[in-house]
Amino acid sequence: MSTEPTLDDSIDSAATTVGSVWPIHSFVTANPLSGFENQPFEQAVTQAADLLGGRGYPSAATFQQALESGQIDPEILESELADRGYEADPETLLERMADADESTAAGDSDTAADSDAERVDAILTKWLPAFLDEGRAHWSMPNREAGFYSAFRALADHDSEIPDAGVVADLPESPTAAIEAAVESYPESQWEPLFEEQLAALPGWTGFIKQRADDEGDWQAEYPITLDGYLAVRLSLLDGFGVDLEPESSFESTAPDTADELAAAFLSAWEATYREELVDTVATESERVAADETATEGAAGRPDAQLTFCIDTRSEVIRRHIEATGDYETHGYAGFFGVPIEYNGYETDVSVDACPPILDPKHRITELPTDDETQTTHDRWAGVREAAAEAIETLQANAASAYGYVESAGSGYGLALAARTLVPGRVHDLLDAIDDAEPDSHEFCEPMVHHQHTYADDLPVGLTTDEKVEYAATAFDLMGFESFGRVVAFVGHASETANNPYDSSLDCGACAGNPGGPNARVLASICNDETVQEKLREQGHEIPADTVFIAGEHNTTTDEIELYDGDVPASHDDDLDQLRVDLATARENAAAERADAMGADTADSRSETERRAADWAETRPELGLAGNASFVIGPRELTENVNLNGRAFLHSYDHATDPDGDALEAILAGPMVVTQWINNQYYFSTVDSGVYGSGSKITHNPVGNVGVYQGNGGDLLTGLPLQSVAAGPDDPYHQPLRLSTVVHAPVDTVEEILADHEELTTLLDNSWLSLTVVDPTRGHDAFHYDGELTWTGEGDIEPEPAAAEPATIPADD
Amino acid sequence: MNTTSTRHSRDDRGPQVAGSDKHMTDGTQRRSVGSLPAMENHAAGVPAALTRLVWGLWIGTLVVAAVFVRNDPGWAVDGLVAIDGLTVVMWTVVTFFSGIVHSYARRYLAGNPDKTQFFTRVFAFTLAVMVVVAADHVALFAAAWLAMGLLMAELIGHVDGWPQAQAAARTSRRYFVGSAALIAVSLTLLWSTTGATTITGILDAVGGLSTTTAVLAAGGLVIAAMIQSALIPFHTWILSSMTAPTPASALMHAGFVNAGGVLLARFAPVVTIEPTVMLAIVAVGALSALGGKLLKSVQTDIKGQLGCSTVGQMGFMIMQAGLGFFGAAIAHLILHGFYKAYQFLSSGSEVTHTSPSAVSDHTVEYNGVVAGVVTVVTGILGGALFAILTGKGTIINGGLLLTFFVTFATLHAARSAVQHTSLPATFRYGAVPLVFFPAIIVYAAVYEAISFMLADLPVVTASTELTLLHGVIAVVFVGVYVAIETGVHEGSGRLYVALLNLSQPVSDTLLTSTEDYNEY
Repeated sequence: MSTEPTLDDSIDSAATTVGSVWPIHSFVTANPLSGFENQPFEQAVTQAADLLGGRGYPSAATFQQALESGQIDPEILESELADRGYEADPETLLERMADADESTAAGDSDTAADSDAERVDAILTKWLPAFLDEGRAHWSMPNREAGFYSAFRALADHDSEIPDAGVVADLPESPTAAIEAAVESYPESQWEPLFEEQLAALPGWTGFIKQRADDEGDWQAEYPITLDGYLAVRLSLLDGFGVDLEPESSFESTAPDTADELAAAFLSAWEATYREELVDTVATESERVAADETATEGAAGRPDAQLTFCIDTRSEVIRRHIEATGDYETHGYAGFFGVPIEYNGYETDVSVDACPPILDPKHRITELPTDDETQTTHDRWAGVREAAAEAIETLQANAASAYGYVESAGSGYGLALAARTLVPGRVHDLLDAIDDAEPDSHEFCEPMVHHQHTYADDLPVGLTTDEKVEYAATAFDLMGFESFGRVVAFVGHASETANNPYDSSLDCGACAGNPGGPNARVLASICNDETVQEKLREQGHEIPADTVFIAGEHNTTTDEIELYDGDVPASHDDDLDQLRVDLATARENAAAERADAMGADTADSRSETERRAADWAETRPELGLAGNASFVIGPRELTENVNLNGRAFLHSYDHATDPDGDALEAILAGPMVVTQWINNQYYFSTVDSGVYGSGSKITHNPVGNVGVYQGNGGDLLTGLPLQSVAAGPDDPYHQPLRLSTVVHAPVDTVEEILADHEELTTLLDNSWLSLTVVDPTRGHDAFHYDGELTWTGEGDIEPEPAAAEPATIPADD
Repeated sequence: MNTTSTRHSRDDRGPQVAGSDKHMTDGTQRRSVGSLPAMENHAAGVPAALTRLVWGLWIGTLVVAAVFVRNDPGWAVDGLVAIDGLTVVMWTVVTFFSGIVHSYARRYLAGNPDKTQFFTRVFAFTLAVMVVVAADHVALFAAAWLAMGLLMAELIGHVDGWPQAQAAARTSRRYFVGSAALIAVSLTLLWSTTGATTITGILDAVGGLSTTTAVLAAGGLVIAAMIQSALIPFHTWILSSMTAPTPASALMHAGFVNAGGVLLARFAPVVTIEPTVMLAIVAVGALSALGGKLLKSVQTDIKGQLGCSTVGQMGFMIMQAGLGFFGAAIAHLILHGFYKAYQFLSSGSEVTHTSPSAVSDHTVEYNGVVAGVVTVVTGILGGALFAILTGKGTIINGGLLLTFFVTFATLHAARSAVQHTSLPATFRYGAVPLVFFPAIIVYAAVYEAISFMLADLPVVTASTELTLLHGVIAVVFVGVYVAIETGVHEGSGRLYVALLNLSQPVSDTLLTSTEDYNEY
């Protein structure tokens, strides 16, 4: 009995190495190696390779390509290699790396013990989806309410594939007892490594169980599963088959092998090449901006409109094109707009957490109808659609009706088959027309933002005035918003794709894989609130009386921006008309850039992007965040003259309005960590599509509304599909680089923040991302974080004369 | 403007972008940082050429069909191929499915290193099917049948470096070689007893076959058809075949499994000799029709559900053949092909975010007398319409069972619609007749058209007597219908486990260790 707490602890601790896996309908881009983040990157990938079998670095062929196309600077590479004691020329070293790869690939062999373990895996991958199914099967596993272990225990007798021997033949009532019975013959010191190895055996399902148990959502509440319960079933089965559980002595190969060391050097050189170009540009622009500001002090007029986008790399493209159409100011802010909500849309059964996975939602926002007439039209359409869908569903499900249904409906399916395959663009137009006939919920609904003094799912419904003021003020503070135009838009984003289980991976990462429009509406609604504006003015945010806040949503597949302008006063009609015209122009240009990047061979890029959004045969509707490599924290002026090629996350920040560094602290602790998750997800999905990504879409098989299999079944796939990151195998489109963060702020401020945040220095010291500070107070010099709160840079870190103003530095040096 | 040229300007590749850089107010062009090489479109010539070719073939088959309808020219290469109504219908159908799969895969397989090989195999498969339905020489028929199976096995193992896909290919190959062997044995038997080397010759001579020979030959053909159509107990290969790229699965479920029905229709004079053989066909068909649905009910993965659904649909189709309605079987396999190809090609769109409470379990609700009466009347009218238009069930024979299914489907749809009490009454009561009756008319048109095309076959409809078995089947179906609607069977854990185990793919085709997966 007394062993129970320690057993639980060692199970939890053993499970840290397996990354959480979120259900696919709310895909969260997380670092698959998040459990290893307290170790240096190089060591972590080696250990993960032992435990999970994944590659840690890009292949020699990928480096070769990068070297040939000039993306790795030979000089930087030489010095990186020299640092690690390699003098041979890069080509020779790449060959060595390729040879080493081949010899490890050939080293796999099956033994008898393996085949028994494989039988256990086969049995588990039969029962896990049966239990974890979220509404796909018509007949679900019996007794799920009792929890996984008990439900399995009740059925194990009926399953002829389960051996009638060992612990599994007569399962005790409690999972803990089963675990203890299965491992009693092993010394207690081996338990934790043993658990670790077993939990890592089906990392996809383990990660999903771990996430489901942590998240405590609806399905977990109804049908509970714990890691203990799963482990108990697993160990009992292994015991039944008589598999030797002794863990392989791990950490045997912690000494990095040559191939990994070489790969690390190439990777660092590639990253440094990109980073130097970016940092140089930011530093140069910083000087220019400082010089411009002195020259034109006070002359800046009011912009035509200000638009705030998500920090997402795709925003960089559309922002560039919007700015080019007129006097528009654009900003970058986390796509949940700082409001952590649980959102319940009109007519949806499920509410979603519309905030980054590192936060918990704090408010419940429900979409409520405000326009009866439109609502009625919508409901009529939706009702017919639902009735038809339900009729088809039950017709197909029942043996007595499915055959008649197929005969009656077959011809219709034939037509649809031909239309969707041969004229996908027309199908998009048709769907658009149907969509227009049925009003969208945002046309007749408002998010219920006001505080209701009630609770739903343990969350307060709506926001109090103080909370509203706080969210608005935080937004303006973090972005360094000082003056307001007549129109201020908050633009969330969502993708539009057809036939794509990974659609939520293309939605807003800051909203946990959900569309960002609702959050934008909440913030716009807050900012339009008279009382809130009053209080904001008291706090020094001078919002003019004629400023109108509106929300919108950026369709990242077609680059169309829809503005939710229902409540905008007539006085602003002209402003909005002009804005709409310019957004349409920007959309054309952004779509052209995108179509070009995807290698589309067409002059009509607008139709091409629309086709991709609607085409069921398209595996690359858009490139998502592929290419992401950097995070720039600073004013837009630093990057507005630069084409960052959709590779940079951009967070607006002005150190001048943030003397004590509070805003920067919030940005580094929040958005920077989320971007690192996203970046690592793309990195690992690219370097090992099978283990950390989810392989090719062409053989995908969605399971249980929670995830995807390759082919017939087995382990749950975890990361991004091959098509999201690559043009083809060994031809990555996403360049696997760790995130280069560039902060425009005094280096002392940054250092103080880091000193207070151990979780950030852990990530930085272990090289999961890098940080460079361009310090406008020190001659716009760049300082690269070098671990342990030290910096390397052009200038030495010595306090500059306090009087040195940025403006005094000559513009051309 | 634009006087300072910078490196990596995006304007030097791709079409001119209207304006973006020209509108810059400060006169400088944007400097590009970290530009990426554009994704190349590997314009592979073979896929494009084969796609055009297969659509060309489709148009060609339409022309052939038009000529055939005007006046059957009785095309044949004596002793080798003979083109009849079944050939023409299946040619049109298989080239259409193949065309869809070609066009779809051109975009779907973009970037796949073995794309050309995929297209070559799909195209070769299409040709093999075309030969199967046109072959007259028994050796040509058996060889084409084998080639069709081997090519499909290659498609199942399309991903070269993936051991589980190779295991799945091996599994299916064993089944397909088995079915080809059974056909070879049956044809050899028929050839040795009739002396004819052509199918037409054999079919002309079936009158002289002994009962034993007829049963043996028909038995071999029926088992071959069961393997091909993945009927229980030969369904494991199809549930282990999801390693095939999605479009190949679409082609398999719309074009490959059908060959079982085609085989029975082609050799109808042989299988109809003995009424017991026909009864056995009805029994195995009904078993799969019911079993497939039950297996489907416990599946959690989409392609597994579709696979089980095909097992059921093919069971129904084979049952139609067993009832003597070969034309109906062909109509069913074509319409099912449209349906199932669509389902596969859209299998990625099925993921939904649900809540435990919203998953409705069963639909038994009482909605008042009017609703009940409307439901029953709609169902009966649907059945009556079907019977009048297709002639099935107007006389007392096995066809009554088919009318029974259409009545049931209409009844069920009407019931489902009526339950939506939030909708206006006109919709609830009117929708099903309005949608279903025209659908039944369309079905009847398809059925009549196919029957017309097949009119030159020796046996298209073989009236079978209504036996106790038919009654039992009808009763069992009603029982299963009620069970699924009420969920009474769901109390049995034993049944659940049995269904789950029966529907498991072969275990060495499961990707339990993702490091084994390798697309290249």
